Amino acid sequence: MTTTTIPVKADLTSKVKGRILPPLVTGQEYVLIGIIVALWALLGVFTPAFLTAGSVVPLLVAVAPVALVGVGMTFVIITAGIDVSVGAATMVAAVVVAKAMVALGLPLIPAVLLAMAIGGVLGLINGVLIAYGRIHPIIITFGTANLFMYLGLQIFGSSTVNNIPSTFAIFGRGEEGRTLGIPHSFLITLIVLGAAWWFLRHRPSGRHLLAIGGNENAARLAGVKVKQLLVSAYTLTGLLIGLGACFTLGMGTSTLDQGVGVGRELAVIAAVVIGGTSVLGGRGSVLGTLLGAILVQTVTSGVTQLGWPSQLSDLFVGLAIILAVGTDIIRERARKKTS
Amino acid sequence: MSRKHLKMAAVLAVGALALSACTSKNESSSVGSTPASGGEAVTVAFVPKLQGIPYFEAMNAGGQKAAEELGIEWLYQGPTTADAAAQSEIVRAFIQQKVDVLVVAPNDPDSMAPLLQEAQDAGIRVATSDTDAPNSVRELFVNQTTPENHGRALAESLTGAMGGAGEFAIVSCSETASNLNSYIEEINKVMAADFPGITLVDTVYAGEDQAKAASMATDLMNAHPDLTGIVGLCSAAAPGVAQAVRDAGRIGEVFTVGGGTPTAMAPYLLDGSSSASVLWDVENLGYLTAWAGSELAADTAFESAFDVNSDITGVTYDAATKIMLLGDPLVFTKDNVEQFDY
Repeated sequence: MTTTTIPVKADLTSKVKGRILPPLVTGQEYVLIGIIVALWALLGVFTPAFLTAGSVVPLLVAVAPVALVGVGMTFVIITAGIDVSVGAATMVAAVVVAKAMVALGLPLIPAVLLAMAIGGVLGLINGVLIAYGRIHPIIITFGTANLFMYLGLQIFGSSTVNNIPSTFAIFGRGEEGRTLGIPHSFLITLIVLGAAWWFLRHRPSGRHLLAIGGNENAARLAGVKVKQLLVSAYTLTGLLIGLGACFTLGMGTSTLDQGVGVGRELAVIAAVVIGGTSVLGGRGSVLGTLLGAILVQTVTSGVTQLGWPSQLSDLFVGLAIILAVGTDIIRERARKKTS
Repeated sequence: MSRKHLKMAAVLAVGALALSACTSKNESSSVGSTPASGGEAVTVAFVPKLQGIPYFEAMNAGGQKAAEELGIEWLYQGPTTADAAAQSEIVRAFIQQKVDVLVVAPNDPDSMAPLLQEAQDAGIRVATSDTDAPNSVRELFVNQTTPENHGRALAESLTGAMGGAGEFAIVSCSETASNLNSYIEEINKVMAADFPGITLVDTVYAGEDQAKAASMATDLMNAHPDLTGIVGLCSAAAPGVAQAVRDAGRIGEVFTVGGGTPTAMAPYLLDGSSSASVLWDVENLGYLTAWAGSELAADTAFESAFDVNSDITGVTYDAATKIMLLGDPLVFTKDNVEQFDY
């Protein structure tokens, strides 16, 4: 008896392992890669310079802050949450750091740390309110978005921040912004993304995040520290918002106006959703988010480089979001039927 | 049950907080309330498109200066985003306050028109400044420039920088901004008539987003390898397109002009990534707005050409269209930009 159970047990665990871990690259991601490759090829043919370094580097620099914050947003949406305060938090981090650089001549590393600290604190506020307030995240973050916006505008004090030193040019699209042709901001984004991918896939806490999104009560009963994980997910988003604000300053001008961060939350959510993360929670990947961000920026740049009317990029991104969410919901229904 | 109610109350409270914060505005500022002639001082309220950007803050500075000199009360309050609905709220509040003169720079001229009617019905004198609401009951439009003057100044500055020939593109902001669209039309007219060697290859819209303007300018340079000129039409696009040229390392090959405020444009004008910024004296526009408001309240008829003071000269007024024109555009270059502080 015992001799037969051992191989069966081993068999079971290997089977369970295989079932828990999703494939390395999911179906939606293959589709996105296919679309991006096709678009790049077409744009390479139909525009004079889409596939040159002078075009690809600025594109990746523009992708970086969206994909970077998208990593945090993926974690948040996986728990069936959302953070709509991203744009306002970006504004607060950017204006404080810009003012500190102008007034104190803050060097690179302290400036980045300051930005991340500010973002982290704002994210922590969101996380605590959501985990312990038990109110839907969209209401909480909508509220904090307005509070952060107020805070940011007060710090702006009805004027722009002028003559910002070029400390963050290291994250920009210019010469200082790349090493061996690779933009630093995109490289940092890839590193963060890799770590997040591994965490979500192989660490127990990463799996727990997915469990919370699947069924929060079941996860709690199974011993998942729901509150701690929720606070961590929003705080992580905040930290990345801080770093992303530095990237944004790096690609901006020497003047910062209160338009900074406006609409950033929508760009990030679009990237996450197009990337195949389920808005219902419980499923998603950071690789998809990166692909979503690349797709959106490809469409925006492509429309301009083809000489098409600017508003077409809104149309295409809108269609992509509806298509992505639609597929997700159809898939979810099919799954419920079969189970 | 009580817990459920508590939870619902909390949701409502947070929702209400969020909504009220959404329409929050900066506090209004008012100065100079010296009674003019025995009675209460005339109140002139100005509602900008957007509060907190240097452009309208400079207008406010001019208006405050006028209020002190003329003994009127100047009220200044605008939305924190260029949002027509939020702006309407502020206009309504001023109507309730029964100000004497209401001046608006409408975000959406058409939706502002009925509100201006409402103000007039309440006995308030109504005017527009900076941006007109042509199909409204406004009694005066204080215009900073004409599309003809502005478009020509931009076209000539750009042509000069480009050496009289080549391809150029325009990065504008809002696609529905009638003043920006009239500048675009005028630039094209001037180019076609006077500079046949210059061709427009594309016009794109970046919203009020500097970073997006820079990205789009980069895309335009890639899409058109022979591009040598870019117009950054509004105050967000002007530094954005210059930054794109600087980042691409193409200062001296691609020339930009735009409509940016002097402090924002100074670094770019000084390093050559921007050749000229075409604007008007914004403080004087604010001063003229306040002055015209007080004249309107006093029912004084405007002359067809006049000087307000030693600073503001050569103002014209067209009685048929009820448009008052500040004067010629002001061109900022590396030589004069450091004299201005807005």
